[in-house]
Amino acid sequence: MKPSRVTAVIEKETKEIVRDPVTVGVALIMPLIMLFLFGYAISLDVEDIRMGVLDHDRSPASRQLVDEFVRSGYFRPAGAYGTPQEVESALQRNAVKLALVIPPGFQEALARGETAPVQALVDGTYSASANLVAAYAETIIAGFPEVVAPAVRVEVRVWYNPSLRSANFVVPGLFGVILMAFPPLLTALAITREKESGSIQQVYASPLTPAEFLAGKLVPYGLIAFLQIVMVIAAGFLWFAVPMRGSLDLLLAVGLVYVFVTVGIGLLVSTITNSQVVAMLLALIVALMPSMLFSGFLFPIFTMPYVAQLYARTLPAGYFVDFSRGVVLKGAGLPELWPAVALLFAYTIIIFALAVWRFRKKVA
Amino acid sequence: MGTRLTGLLIKEMLQFLRDRVVLILILWLYTVEIVICTLAVSFEVENMPLAIADLDRTPASRALGQSFLVTETFASAGQPASVTEATAWLQTGRARAALVIPEGFQRDLARGEAPAVQILIDGTDSNIAAQARGAALGILGRFGAAPALERNGRGNAQPVVRVWYNPERTYNSFTVLSMIALAALMVGVIYPAASIVREKEAGTIEQLRVTPIGTMELFVAKTVPTLVMGLLSIFPSLLIVWWFGVPLHGSFALFLALSAVFLVSAVAIGVLIGSISRTLQQALLLSFFGLFPILFLSGTITPAESMPEVLQTLSLVSPLRHYMDVILGVFLKGAGLHELWPQALALAAIGTPLFLLAAWIFRRSPVG
Repeated sequence: MKPSRVTAVIEKETKEIVRDPVTVGVALIMPLIMLFLFGYAISLDVEDIRMGVLDHDRSPASRQLVDEFVRSGYFRPAGAYGTPQEVESALQRNAVKLALVIPPGFQEALARGETAPVQALVDGTYSASANLVAAYAETIIAGFPEVVAPAVRVEVRVWYNPSLRSANFVVPGLFGVILMAFPPLLTALAITREKESGSIQQVYASPLTPAEFLAGKLVPYGLIAFLQIVMVIAAGFLWFAVPMRGSLDLLLAVGLVYVFVTVGIGLLVSTITNSQVVAMLLALIVALMPSMLFSGFLFPIFTMPYVAQLYARTLPAGYFVDFSRGVVLKGAGLPELWPAVALLFAYTIIIFALAVWRFRKKVA
Repeated sequence: MGTRLTGLLIKEMLQFLRDRVVLILILWLYTVEIVICTLAVSFEVENMPLAIADLDRTPASRALGQSFLVTETFASAGQPASVTEATAWLQTGRARAALVIPEGFQRDLARGEAPAVQILIDGTDSNIAAQARGAALGILGRFGAAPALERNGRGNAQPVVRVWYNPERTYNSFTVLSMIALAALMVGVIYPAASIVREKEAGTIEQLRVTPIGTMELFVAKTVPTLVMGLLSIFPSLLIVWWFGVPLHGSFALFLALSAVFLVSAVAIGVLIGSISRTLQQALLLSFFGLFPILFLSGTITPAESMPEVLQTLSLVSPLRHYMDVILGVFLKGAGLHELWPQALALAAIGTPLFLLAAWIFRRSPVG
C-alpha cells in the first residue's frame, strides 16, 4: 500500500463530497433531527390520562373517589356519562383512556363495612400504557377510603437513572443507531456511483490496489461519520444534559472503532450491487432497520422471541448500544465492558476482510 | 381528452407492474417488514432477568421470591450470595433488577412488623424500569394484602380492572396495524415520487411534453393509479393481520374508504417530492428521511399522548396521526363513522390543501 496513492484517492473523494453540499448537509443535519425526535417524542410517560366517570351512586363517597383519581396527578376528568353506552362510545372515540364505573349503593356498602366493587375500564390498544393505567387505577381504588397497612414495606431504588428520564435512556443508545443510518448509506453510494458512471473502469486500469482504493474511499466517509458521532455526543450532553459517568475518551475511542464497522458495512454493500438505488435500499434494510429494531435501542432484546434474540446478537449495533449506555449511565469501564469492545474489533476485521475479498474478485 | 387520459392511465399501470424494484419494495413493506417489526417492536416487559438476593433463606422469603418468578414479567437470573454481588450483576448487565430480602424477614412478618424489602432496578432503560417498578409493587402489594385486609375488617372499595379491545395486553395487534398504516404512507409517497423522477431521468418527460397531453391530465395520470394501487396493496397485508390473529371488529368498507382519503395526502406528498427531486436517489433519500419525523410524531411507535404538548399539537397536522386512530378504531374497537367522523374530517382537511398544492407545484415544475 503506497501512501501517495491513498492520499490521491482521498483527495479525489473529498472533492466529490465538497461538490455535493446537499448530501453533506443531510448527513450532518439529519442526526441532530433524529436526536431531537427521539429525545422528545419517544416516551411512554403516562400522565394526564383522560378519564371518564359513570357514577351510579352520586354520593359524597363516590365523588371523593373521583377526587382521589384527580389528586393522584395521573388522571384528568374528561367527561361524566349517564349510561354504559355513552361510556363505550367515549372509549371508542378515544375521548377517554379510562372509564370508572361506580355501582349504585357504593356509599352504603362502605358504611356497612362491605367491599364495594368499582369497575375500571381501560383502553388496551396500546398495552404498555394500558398496563400502567390499570396499575395506577387499581392502587387508587384499593386504597379507598383508606390505605390498608401493608404487610411488607417496599423500598424501590432505580439506579443509573433515578428520575427515569427518557432522554437519559434514548440519547446514549442513539449514538449507536445514528451511525448505522448514514455512514453505510453514503459509503455504499460512493462506490456504486463510480460503477454506474463507469469511472470504476479507470480505477481498475490504474495501478491502484483494491486495498488502496478502499482505504482512500473510507477515510473521508469515516471522518464524516466520526464528526456525526462527536456532534451527537456533544448535543446529547449539552442540550439534553445526559450525565456522563464514565470516561469520554473511552467512549470516543470505541466510537472510532464502531465508525469503521459502519463504513465497512457500506463498502460490503457496494461490492454486492452495481446500482445506486439497490445499494441504498440494501443499506437501509441491512444496516438501519435492524439496528433500530434489534439493537435494544428502544425495544428490549430479552422480551423478543428466541430466534429474534439470536438474530439480535449477531448485530454489531447492539453491542455498541450496550457499551455506550454502560459508559455514560453506569460509569462502567473496560473491566466490565471488554467483551463488547473485543467483539466490535472482531466485526471490523471480518467486515473489511470480506469487503476487500469481494472487491478483488470484481477486479479479476 | 377521454382517450388520451385512458392511454396515459394504461401506460402508468403497465409501468407500475414492470417496475420490479418498486414492486418488491411495496410487497416487502406490506409483508416482511410488518412481520419483522411485530416480532421486534414491543415495550412489553417479559422475562426481565431478576437477581434474588435472599438473605433470610426461610419458607416465607422463598415464597416471596417465587411470587416474582411466577409472573411473566420476571425471570430468574440466579441467586447472588450478597448485596454486593447483586450490585455487580446490575453493573455488568447480567441482571436488570434485583430483589433483596433482608435477614429476619419471616420472623418480622410473623410478628406483624412489616419487614422492609429492597428492589434495585437498572434504570438505563427508563421505559422498562417504570414498568418493572409497577409490576414489583403490584406483586409485593398482593403478597401482603390478604392478611392485612383480614386485620382491617372495615369497608373498602375493591378494584375490578377490565382491559378492553386487547384483553391479553399484547403488542402484536398494535404493531401490525401501525405498520400497515406506515406502509400505506410509504407506498403512497414513494410510488408517485419515483414514477415522476423516472420520467425525468429517462428523458421521456420531453416526449410527453411534445404530445397534446395537458399538465393536468398528466397530473391525474400520476396520482389516480397510485391511489388505486395503494388501496390494492393493503390486501396482502390482510393475510398478516389474519396470521397474527388481529380482530376486525368494525366495517372493512369504512376502513377502505378512509384509507383512500388518507392516501390522497400521501400521494400529494409524493408528487411534491417527485417535482422537487432531480434523481431517483434524491427522491428516495427525501422520502425516507422526510417520512421519518412523521412516523415518530404520529404515535406509530409510542402513543402521541405521551409526547410533550408542543409535539402533540404539531402532530395534529400529520395525516398519519389521524389515520392511526382510524385503523386502531375500526379493527380493535369496532368504531364506526359515528365515532370516527372527526378523524375523517381531519384527514380530508389535511388532504385537500396538500393535493391542491401538489397540483400547483407540479404544474410549475419542469415536469409539467
